[in-house]
Amino acid sequence: MIKLSRGNNFIERSIMGALSFLKESIFSDEFAAKRGLLQLLDERLKVLLFLGLLLSVLFSKSIFFIVCVYALCLLLTALSSINFGFFLKRTWIFIPLFSLFIAIPALFDIFSPGEPVLSFSIFRAQLNITRQGILGAGFFFLRVLTSVSLCVLLVLTTRHYALLKVLRVFKVPQVFVMTLGMCYRYIYLFLDIIYNTYMAIKSRVGTLHSIKKGQRIVTWNIASLWQRSIKLNEEVYKAMVSRGYSGEPKTIKL
Amino acid sequence: MSEAIFELDNISYSYLGKIPALCGVDLKVEKGERIALVGANGSGKSTLLQLLDGLIFPDKGIIKAFGEELNESQFDNPEFSRNFRKKVAFLFQSSDVQLFSPTVKEDILFGPLQLGVPEGEIKKLFHELVDIFGLEKLLERSPHQLSVGEKRKVAIAGTLAINPEVIILDEPTAGLDPRTVRQIIDIILDYSQKGKTIITATHDLHILGEIADKVYVFGSDKKIIRSGAIQEILSDKQFLEDNNLMHIHSHRHQDKIHVHSHEHLGHHHEGSN
Repeated sequence: MIKLSRGNNFIERSIMGALSFLKESIFSDEFAAKRGLLQLLDERLKVLLFLGLLLSVLFSKSIFFIVCVYALCLLLTALSSINFGFFLKRTWIFIPLFSLFIAIPALFDIFSPGEPVLSFSIFRAQLNITRQGILGAGFFFLRVLTSVSLCVLLVLTTRHYALLKVLRVFKVPQVFVMTLGMCYRYIYLFLDIIYNTYMAIKSRVGTLHSIKKGQRIVTWNIASLWQRSIKLNEEVYKAMVSRGYSGEPKTIKL
Repeated sequence: MSEAIFELDNISYSYLGKIPALCGVDLKVEKGERIALVGANGSGKSTLLQLLDGLIFPDKGIIKAFGEELNESQFDNPEFSRNFRKKVAFLFQSSDVQLFSPTVKEDILFGPLQLGVPEGEIKKLFHELVDIFGLEKLLERSPHQLSVGEKRKVAIAGTLAINPEVIILDEPTAGLDPRTVRQIIDIILDYSQKGKTIITATHDLHILGEIADKVYVFGSDKKIIRSGAIQEILSDKQFLEDNNLMHIHSHRHQDKIHVHSHEHLGHHHEGSN
């Protein structure tokens, strides 16, 4: 029996965790298929509603208003039969990604001069966290949190092809909608390829014994995936040409 | 008088200009014919199909389709390109390559819409194909949510949605369960009876007798090494073995181990074991 070291676990957990997260959050139709409030709403209306809320959050200067929109978002989550824990996990994972690098520097007096709340020194440099900095960073953080929550809620409660249809209704250029649809389609295929490749490695060499070896295999996989994506790109283009595509995609209502 | 659909004269093709894929192929396909291309992996079958569909062009030799030469500059003419694509449909080996639209419905409709088929005709054919393939429940699904067999059926439906004169199929039954294979063969037979020209590349010699009248065998030197009637080729065991198209296998009949060539014409004669 192969004993797993911490490093081995790390590689396996990272690959499998990332794959299952992407599949669950982007490709799962589980919540969109439920009969909740947002799922029953017409897609066009829903997109308009969320777009309105998103713009008002982006341009609002009132913390109270943003807190209210976030509360509304949580209420809609509950009314749309979405698992609360799942929703919070999916939204909070994106927050550091979007806000950390902007919000943290904004705490300090270098970017937000004002009344110091906390002072400390790093390498003899005096740094102050200011009240204005905390307010600014908090405001920014709240805005990101609410915006991301609105987007996640919209995606969770709408099937992806319905979202693409709405984009067409709103006169987004067809070629852009088609490219978006194809990205979605083929990201899934590549996730499957990564999963199967990892399983093939595991079946042949067992769990990876060292981080270095694991890193090398992951690197080779990235390179191989890149090559496959180029080949697939050529093949898909041929398939489109074969069926009459000449650069101007056309659609019809049936 | 018979009408030539494709005429290939001494066709050679190489990948990146240095990896030969076809070396001097001559072929003539006539209207309404059912032909099969067989050969070991890498013998050039798929490359030939792509040449026939005007997706790639030969390094040497001439391909004619419907009496006109196929070359890149011809396809720069939108009129020629549209007419050719309306007449010739190609089923790719990998359904994942072919199913690029967000939903099954959009994928089936992709071809006829791009080719400017009238709306009434599109709708009529679309509903017919949905019925034939039993796709009603899959229409709003994304291709990634389908099984391998379902994907293949949708890909074939998309190929047939332009009502083509020529149907080119690259390994249409590979990796499918027997029931789906049967369904696909029945559909090919149906289209053949409607007078369509059918060109199939396959490894599956079991289906040859049903989907083709004439077979072209590709050798490892990337040439057609033999052509003829199905029965004639399939009964030449030595030839099939020499060209990696048949192998020796053993199986059990009650208490006896039975060793013979893996044949594609009946080897279990009545009363024998």
